[in-house]
Amino acid sequence: MAETERDTELQTLEAIFPEIQTPKPNDPYTIALELPVTPSKPVVVYFPTASNDGPPPDPTAGRVANGANPHAGPAIAGGYQDPDQQAQPQVDSHELAHLPSIRLELSFGPKYPEQEPPKVAISTNPPWLPAETIKKLQDDGPRLWEDMGRDLVGFSYIDHVQQAAEDIFGLVSDAGALEVDPSHKIAILDYDIQARRAAFEKETFECGVCLDPKKGAFCHKMTDCGHVFCVECLQDFYNSAIKEGNLAAVKCPAPNCAKERGKSRSPSGRKRKKPKVFISPSELLQIPIDEETVRRYVTLKYKTELESDKNTIYCPRQWCNGAARSKKHKRPTGLELADDSDDDDSSASEDEDSEETPEGEVGKSKPYNKTEDLLAICDTCSFAFCSRCMQSWHGEFVGCRRAKEELTAEELASIEYMKAHTTPCPTCAAPAQKTHGCNHMICYRCQTHFCYLCSAWLDPGNPYQHFNTAPDGRVTTCFMRLWELELGDGAEVGYGFAGGRAGQPAPAVVFDERVEQFIPEIEEATDEEDNNHNANAGRPAAAPAARGQAQQQQQQQQQQQQQQQPLPAGAPAQEVGIAREGPLVLRIAANNPPPPPAAAPAPVNNNPGVANRGAPRGRQGPAPARGGRGGAAAHRGGNQVQQAGAVQQGRGGGRRGGARGGGNAAAAGFGPGRGGRAAAGNYRQNNNNQAQQHQRRNNQNQQAVAAAAAAAAGNQHDMVEMLEMLEGNDEEIDPRQEEWVRQFVRLALNDEEDEFDEDDFDFRVPV
Amino acid sequence: MSSSKRITKELTDCTTTPPPNITITLPSDSNISLWHITLAAPPESIYHPGKFGLIVSFPLEYPFKPPQITFATRIYHPNITNESSGSICLSLLKTDNWKPSTKIVTVLDAIRQLLVEPQPDDPLETRIAEQYKNDRKEFEKEAKAYVNKYAKGPVKFSTTTTDGGSTSTSSTTAPPGEA
Repeated sequence: MAETERDTELQTLEAIFPEIQTPKPNDPYTIALELPVTPSKPVVVYFPTASNDGPPPDPTAGRVANGANPHAGPAIAGGYQDPDQQAQPQVDSHELAHLPSIRLELSFGPKYPEQEPPKVAISTNPPWLPAETIKKLQDDGPRLWEDMGRDLVGFSYIDHVQQAAEDIFGLVSDAGALEVDPSHKIAILDYDIQARRAAFEKETFECGVCLDPKKGAFCHKMTDCGHVFCVECLQDFYNSAIKEGNLAAVKCPAPNCAKERGKSRSPSGRKRKKPKVFISPSELLQIPIDEETVRRYVTLKYKTELESDKNTIYCPRQWCNGAARSKKHKRPTGLELADDSDDDDSSASEDEDSEETPEGEVGKSKPYNKTEDLLAICDTCSFAFCSRCMQSWHGEFVGCRRAKEELTAEELASIEYMKAHTTPCPTCAAPAQKTHGCNHMICYRCQTHFCYLCSAWLDPGNPYQHFNTAPDGRVTTCFMRLWELELGDGAEVGYGFAGGRAGQPAPAVVFDERVEQFIPEIEEATDEEDNNHNANAGRPAAAPAARGQAQQQQQQQQQQQQQQQPLPAGAPAQEVGIAREGPLVLRIAANNPPPPPAAAPAPVNNNPGVANRGAPRGRQGPAPARGGRGGAAAHRGGNQVQQAGAVQQGRGGGRRGGARGGGNAAAAGFGPGRGGRAAAGNYRQNNNNQAQQHQRRNNQNQQAVAAAAAAAAGNQHDMVEMLEMLEGNDEEIDPRQEEWVRQFVRLALNDEEDEFDEDDFDFRVPV
Repeated sequence: MSSSKRITKELTDCTTTPPPNITITLPSDSNISLWHITLAAPPESIYHPGKFGLIVSFPLEYPFKPPQITFATRIYHPNITNESSGSICLSLLKTDNWKPSTKIVTVLDAIRQLLVEPQPDDPLETRIAEQYKNDRKEFEKEAKAYVNKYAKGPVKFSTTTTDGGSTSTSSTTAPPGEA
């Protein structure tokens, strides 16, 4: 009889809940039922952060309604409230319409219903329901059975649980919030999404496009605004829009939707230029739109974005014309727009902001952009080019050709200065400015050996041949001119090279290192300028500012006038093969022991040109001194190449060059003896180059404008002083100087060093 | 594709619950995408007793593309060209702003609203817009003259207007019979 009662109840329940399962195959009286937990209205669920330093969370309980949030009010289900936690801000809350269902297992034993209540087991997956709530629900079964006079209680109990689920078992606080252990967050949110989707699919919507009612399963709800349209219409609409390239149409098809969202968002505090109205590629795929179409959408969108940005730089290659890589517009990877969905417009607008805030720095004048900004790399063909002159990338130190009107006065001055005071490397065209030393140059960039006067390639094995008589007896236009412009090309360029490591042994010169040291210095313009100011203040004497362009011709004349050496006009410049090899001179120089004192002109083994040079130029007073210095080859190594790269970089190029000269010389360990050298140089100038100086002065006067522009006011002053000094010394040598030179020659012959006090010169060298 | 289906739907909607002051006729039974609409200017507008003919032409891609709507009746209005073609400046109808779920009723409502409240800041006829802003009286006088001249009597939808004589100069011949 009891059997029948049980059976009847089971049948009834199965009729009411067709989804009832019998989880135990050998026990037909145990039934299981999934009961959805769908609150009557969506409930706010909080997931307190894991770093909650309030009361330690109870690991066993689900921690629901612990009262830890300020909105939750007093806990309801046996929780407690900690006043300390009241202050904690609530983070991570979600409004959920569905919570994971609870699984109810009822077991009707053989003595049910007369003598035994049904056994109840309740569980949730994930276990978001607190243990005490579950216990209470489970206890409700026997209680209900008791209340009903120990009768069939199955349906009543299920109904009771269902009703309890509607207000989430009383777990919701007065403020309508429910707190759940954050470890269940993903599962709970996921469940909500799935349940919503299921509910959505059952609903019916009228599609605003075709005006037909459609089942939710055939509709798509726009992620951002929630408007619902049928998939068919959306596909038609977006496909045709993307096909026609009408990207502006790829928005929610509801009228005024984007506009209203824009309005509703703008007053909400955060400054947003435009709300996100475009549909993300991932949503298009969800609708679903063909992958190919979406890809086209992504590409087109990227393209229009680039095109609408006036700062976009395009590849100068005719067949490519791709856009250069830019931080602002990332090339989309795969089907995702690089500035993905959510931050799509926000990031764009932030960029716009940042572009506008620095008082129009961008776009207003580009000239002093850091050079790295000039380097553009095509995103399509990876071509590296200069974004200013649109030629292939010429490196940071080479100026680009632009229309004159685009240049600022400062730039023009720099260019003038470079024209006047630099010689381009014959291989890579990097301009070099000599700060001091002989005319055998080694390019800092490509290590080409070349002549500073005529830019001819020099044989790295025998670079001085160029300045001497060739084996066949011929001479170049640079014959005997190795030491012209010895104090450097340009006003003051020779100032800085004294070096901060005076007295230290010359380290082996490694060019790469030098280049590395050299590059960062360019940016530190201010320091260098300061140093240079100091230098300027203390040192009136200066190397003459020879004007580079006229220089060659002019010097040719000088040679004809001053030196009695016959100069075959138009003698072919002796060009030797391109020198790519490391500077032999330097390598030897670095390790070279001081030459024996007896070798007065100090021929260096590898340097016959230097050795020979002394004699023909013997009429010049300081020639032996120079020879001596030639012996101290470390010096030559140090000063061999002076990079003028920074000149084109902008302000005070020349002065900066000078400062860098100091740095380089320091790096090369050329410290000791510089005083002597400088003095000798002065002497030589005064004595020997009078005519030359006059000529140069005239020249300078002609080009005074350029010089003035290039050099700062102080430089001009120096120049004037220098000229005065030279004029004063027209015919006679200052006896003091004469004495100095004698001493210097003596020192050089003995390979001694002057006790030179660094304080004699009031200048500092950047270290 | 679905354009005729949707147009049919909208037409039935419009005929079962006709929008105020609007009557819709189809000039040709075979062509559902060409509508003739008679719009009676609402009483609060200066065009009031006038009745205006509108020609609505639905493109094949409708509703993905906006319908084309023109005034067949001449009207003196800042946002409607002062000529026989009578183009309307309505942002709703611009291709960029058009939304597929905009219904023709909404558009017609917007046009009716345009009669009540011209938008002189977004004009098609700058001269009329200026006049509307600066010399409202003169504007109203001219508008009324136009109404009397063109918008009285049965609405004509033919594109050939009877007289185009006085286009630029103000129609001084307007009958003063209006109260």
